[in-house]
Amino acid sequence: MSELGQLPPLSRRRAWINTLTARIVGLGGIAVIGAIVLIFMYLLWVVAPMFAPASIKPAQQFDLSPTTILKTDVNETGEVGLRFSVAGEAELFATDTGSSIQRVTINRPVSQVITVAGDDAMYALLGDDAQLHLLRARYRVSFIDDQRRLNATIKPAFDASPIRLGQPDQLAGFDVAFADEQLLIASLSGNTLSLREFRDVELEYELEEPKVIELQLDKPYQQVRFGPRHKSLYLISDEGGLEVLNINNLTAPARQYVGFLVPEGEKLTAFVPLLGRTSWLVATDAGQLLQRFLVRGESGYDLRTVRQFDVPNPIVKLVPEPRRKGFIAVDNTGTAHLGYATTGNILTSYDLNEFAEAVMAIAPRSDYLLMANQSGGTQVLAIHNEHPEISWGTLWSEIWYEGYAEPIHSWQSSSAANDFEPKFSLTPLLFGTIKAAAYALLFAVPIAIMGAIYTAYFMAPSMRALVKPGIEIMAALPTVILGFLAGLWLAPIIEDNLSAVLSIFVTLPLGLFVLAWCWRLLPSNLTRRFDGWYGLLVVPPILIMAASAIVMGPFLEDSLFGGDSRAWFRDYLNLPYDQRNALVVGIAMGLAVIPTIFSIAEDAIYGVPQPLINGSLALGATPWQTLTRVVLLTASPGIFSAVMIGMGRAVGETMIVLMATGNTPVMDWNIFQGMRTFAANIAVELPEAEVASSHYRILFLAALVLFFITFAFNTIAELVRQRLRARYGSL
Amino acid sequence: MSIENSQSGWRSWMNSGEPWVWMNAAAVGISIVAVVGIVLLIAVRGLAHFWPADVITIQVETPSGVVRWSGEEIEREVVNLDQFRGASDSSNIDVELEQRLEGLTQVQRVLLKTGNRKATPPDFRWFFDHNIISTVELKDLMVVERSEWGNAYGQLAGIKVNGKHSNLENTSEEGLSALLAQQHKRSASLRKQLLALEDGELSDISYALERLRLDKRKLEIKYAAQPTELENRLVPLAAQEDALRQTYKGYEAQLRDLRQQLKRDSLELTAANGEAIHIEFIDIIQTWQPNAMSVTDKLGHYFRALGAFLTEDPREANTEGGIFPAIFGTVMMVLLMSALVTPFGVIAAVYLREYARQGTLVRIIRIAVNNLAGVPSIVYGVFGLGFFVYFLGGSIDELFFPQALPAPTFGTPGLLWASLTLALLTVPVVIVSTEEGLTRIPRSIREGSLALGATKAETLFKIVLPMASPSILTGVILAVARAAGEVAPLMLVGVVKLAPTLPMDGNFPFLHLDRKFMHLGFHIYDVGFQSPNVEAARPLVFATALLLVVIIIVLNLTAIMLRSRLEKRYKGVES
Repeated sequence: MSELGQLPPLSRRRAWINTLTARIVGLGGIAVIGAIVLIFMYLLWVVAPMFAPASIKPAQQFDLSPTTILKTDVNETGEVGLRFSVAGEAELFATDTGSSIQRVTINRPVSQVITVAGDDAMYALLGDDAQLHLLRARYRVSFIDDQRRLNATIKPAFDASPIRLGQPDQLAGFDVAFADEQLLIASLSGNTLSLREFRDVELEYELEEPKVIELQLDKPYQQVRFGPRHKSLYLISDEGGLEVLNINNLTAPARQYVGFLVPEGEKLTAFVPLLGRTSWLVATDAGQLLQRFLVRGESGYDLRTVRQFDVPNPIVKLVPEPRRKGFIAVDNTGTAHLGYATTGNILTSYDLNEFAEAVMAIAPRSDYLLMANQSGGTQVLAIHNEHPEISWGTLWSEIWYEGYAEPIHSWQSSSAANDFEPKFSLTPLLFGTIKAAAYALLFAVPIAIMGAIYTAYFMAPSMRALVKPGIEIMAALPTVILGFLAGLWLAPIIEDNLSAVLSIFVTLPLGLFVLAWCWRLLPSNLTRRFDGWYGLLVVPPILIMAASAIVMGPFLEDSLFGGDSRAWFRDYLNLPYDQRNALVVGIAMGLAVIPTIFSIAEDAIYGVPQPLINGSLALGATPWQTLTRVVLLTASPGIFSAVMIGMGRAVGETMIVLMATGNTPVMDWNIFQGMRTFAANIAVELPEAEVASSHYRILFLAALVLFFITFAFNTIAELVRQRLRARYGSL
Repeated sequence: MSIENSQSGWRSWMNSGEPWVWMNAAAVGISIVAVVGIVLLIAVRGLAHFWPADVITIQVETPSGVVRWSGEEIEREVVNLDQFRGASDSSNIDVELEQRLEGLTQVQRVLLKTGNRKATPPDFRWFFDHNIISTVELKDLMVVERSEWGNAYGQLAGIKVNGKHSNLENTSEEGLSALLAQQHKRSASLRKQLLALEDGELSDISYALERLRLDKRKLEIKYAAQPTELENRLVPLAAQEDALRQTYKGYEAQLRDLRQQLKRDSLELTAANGEAIHIEFIDIIQTWQPNAMSVTDKLGHYFRALGAFLTEDPREANTEGGIFPAIFGTVMMVLLMSALVTPFGVIAAVYLREYARQGTLVRIIRIAVNNLAGVPSIVYGVFGLGFFVYFLGGSIDELFFPQALPAPTFGTPGLLWASLTLALLTVPVVIVSTEEGLTRIPRSIREGSLALGATKAETLFKIVLPMASPSILTGVILAVARAAGEVAPLMLVGVVKLAPTLPMDGNFPFLHLDRKFMHLGFHIYDVGFQSPNVEAARPLVFATALLLVVIIIVLNLTAIMLRSRLEKRYKGVES
């Protein structure tokens, strides 16, 4: 023994390798935790900015020449500001220094300046002689010697003389719309509404003679605005009266709605249409700030208050965001409130101080607010408000979207129109995920667990040696193949043989019952030889029953469903039929989940200690009684964790759902309709989502939710299994 | 007990649980039917695709008179006429037919692949049996596989060689066949030259030109402040570029010439409706006359078609041709993934079994492993796209490839990121399998090694890992099987429907980790669901699915066999 103490010390090289190996191996072990934490943290890191609060900070302040300003604007990149003075001068200036870039004048005092609907760089200036001048700003970026240059100019939009709108003393309000080579001008003079339509209009070219339509109104209005897509006209009086004319057919305007923009007994203090001009933001003297739009009801259109914004004081000025449905509302104490329509939230407030009375405009990217007051003072505020359309409410609750009669859950992330209100409700997707998983488990759990019971408890060992790996190979079958078979092969078969397929779910158990009864009548010395082989024995009867169901299908179809089961379900049970539906998904995804549940449940049942079983049998219980009262009870935690893991797999499965449903985000338990799940939605939309946009981040949120769901299922399953192991350790 | 026994047989039978045992057995039966059924279905449908089916010619009565069609029978079905009577697409049922079908509710119909999509679209047509007057199999009916527009069916009418027209009037049938064979030989050799030129010299030059462009850009960025220096350095590049462009032009002329030669000759077919179809030899992949072929001929054709399917590039938006790039892409991705996942998985397993003190940390790691295994694959895809592609890839581009910006090099989905993502996805598989192997190695063997004076690391490398290597291999095989069948994450991190180049070629650095690639699983999804002509592509999808299933089942069976051999090997040691 004493020699042991004299072992030569390790050579430095060996000792070094030994330590290094230990270090690397240790790192590798921690890296596993690192991986899962990294996935979680990264997803969170992408999702987090969606819930970051908005902020407004002063960016630049400088003085320009003092003059009375009617309107300001900012270009796309926020580098160039634009202001229109009452003297008829338009001035472009740099927003960082205030240095002037270009000035043009129409040589005429101006009474009103507005942005043209449909082209946010075109401005209409109304001279005091009731002549309308149209100007357009252009911002061109060029790279000279790799230096970025922004060239800003403003000039007349058309090669045409000013357009005369009527008598200067009578003219009240006007609006201009320009889209699809059509220029529309609406103006109000007393009780007369004039509409001018220029066709085949091209920028910088001449204007042809307009078509003029004059209309006598019942009462005078002071303001006129084009409505959504310039297909309607909103006439507004100073008291808040509203009349909406449908001008889809220009020559015969039809009255769509007459009523009030404001609630009864309140006075209009400010109003503005939001992007798309469907929603109208209305402020009243009673301190209300409302979003209202026309909703088509049974008895024509009705102006509904969709939501109310929580502001402390009456609002006197409203500034809309040019590219989103947000706005800035300035109250009578000089505080600006940044709000967003879809969420109904006031995101932040900012004290404007000396700029309370200023003329202001929000930049197209909603990242700057430019304010110009009459003394020439100009201030640029930086707005940080990346994802105003996202709130807990828009993600999970019912939201009243533009153009809908009531609040709904909806997922519709994109559209061709740029005034589209994105609908980011995750509820339909969660519903779809649960629906798909539920139908799959409804199909898979009984088969998997019953199969596991038979395989572990009754089956002959030589057959088990084949069946277990066989079913486990099914787990390795790519889901893309199951999905493809489900979508292209199974779905048309089920559609054509619906009553046959449905009847199998009833006739198969009944038939097996009869089969078992007949089997009992056979002599027992014959049947005993097949003990443990029932699993194989039932295959031919199953095939025969399935085949006969298909053959009998048309007769069933005729006798039960009047010849067309799909029409019958639609008409009598109100269950419309899609070819790719939850039934198909249930079967296909069921097949994908069966091996997972089967394998774990089988292990649990097989692992029940033999002494327990022997004890029960020795006390006189039949094998069946032993199974139900001893084995299943003992194995139940294992079976539970099998179902949990199966559920996790069903929730996250992508390809089967993608291929075997129509991927429509409907919320309906109807087994004959499809669904859209989180996973399929991510697979479809993420490749097209713009990086760092709200859409992109919401898809990451969907992935995070999936991660959480499966994390919960898997952790519960693992904990249950660890307890099970501890319990059996003593047996 | 005695009371129960005396009760009716039914009651005691129910109590015995016998019917429930049958139900349980049926669950196993259903699972067996499902597994075997799916594999058989894919096998039958997939393998049938390459068989040169007979082509029938039918005469059909239509509202506008009797018409002849040739085509392959795809399927037959019985349909309910009521569905057609009300439907808008009732072109096949006219008033006259209606009278003949009076009183019938069901009728047989047959789907023919009539081909000739260029002249008479579409490819597939349904015919009601009631309308078919006659069906014949013409011996000389020829199927022409074209590189565009799908198959053409018709009788060989003539061949035009260098302006000289040989047809049935001036040449015998044998003469025509011989001429056709000769022409096939000619176009095969021309095509070979063409392909060699396109894939060889021309693609090399364009690759070199692209590299030159990037080198130029690199210099421009580097010497942005020194214009004279930059100019000096750009001169040799410009000379190189000129030389390359000159060679390129020469090859292009060769290419044009070859194309011209291929286009010179053409084949003339007479379609069933009597119209003549002219097909230039440049468009002809192959021709055969299925009705005249013997079974051995057909078998030969079958295996040639199978071979072409495995080795050729896809054509016609992936609905025809082979799947070689998809096989290649899958293999490349899986190899790369194995190289990444094996060390990580093995080290983690070794830590868990050999180095870690059993305790809370190990429990947490186990929960992490289980969760890694349970997290949906699409979440890995999302993570891979965000973290690997945009975050890591974007940073790499800024640091190492500024000359290519704004076009991304690594900041876009590609082979490397796909492999990394799938490596992360399959790590648990390797860990679990390796751990299992490590557990089986008896303590005494390790203690023996340590007692002889080996360090822990030496014991690990010389004793433990070699003994565990079969289970490591099992784990890697299972991981490969999993990765080969995974599609959802790959859709986000690098797989495309059609990759212009393979991720490996003769140009430095030979293995292009930044390239996008094709994948068997995604190919199934894309062709089956995104292609414009799903009906025509369906057999191809089944064939692709069969290949994938075979690969995966073989991999799994290998893993199972390895594992059982391992079990046997250690039975002796443990006792």
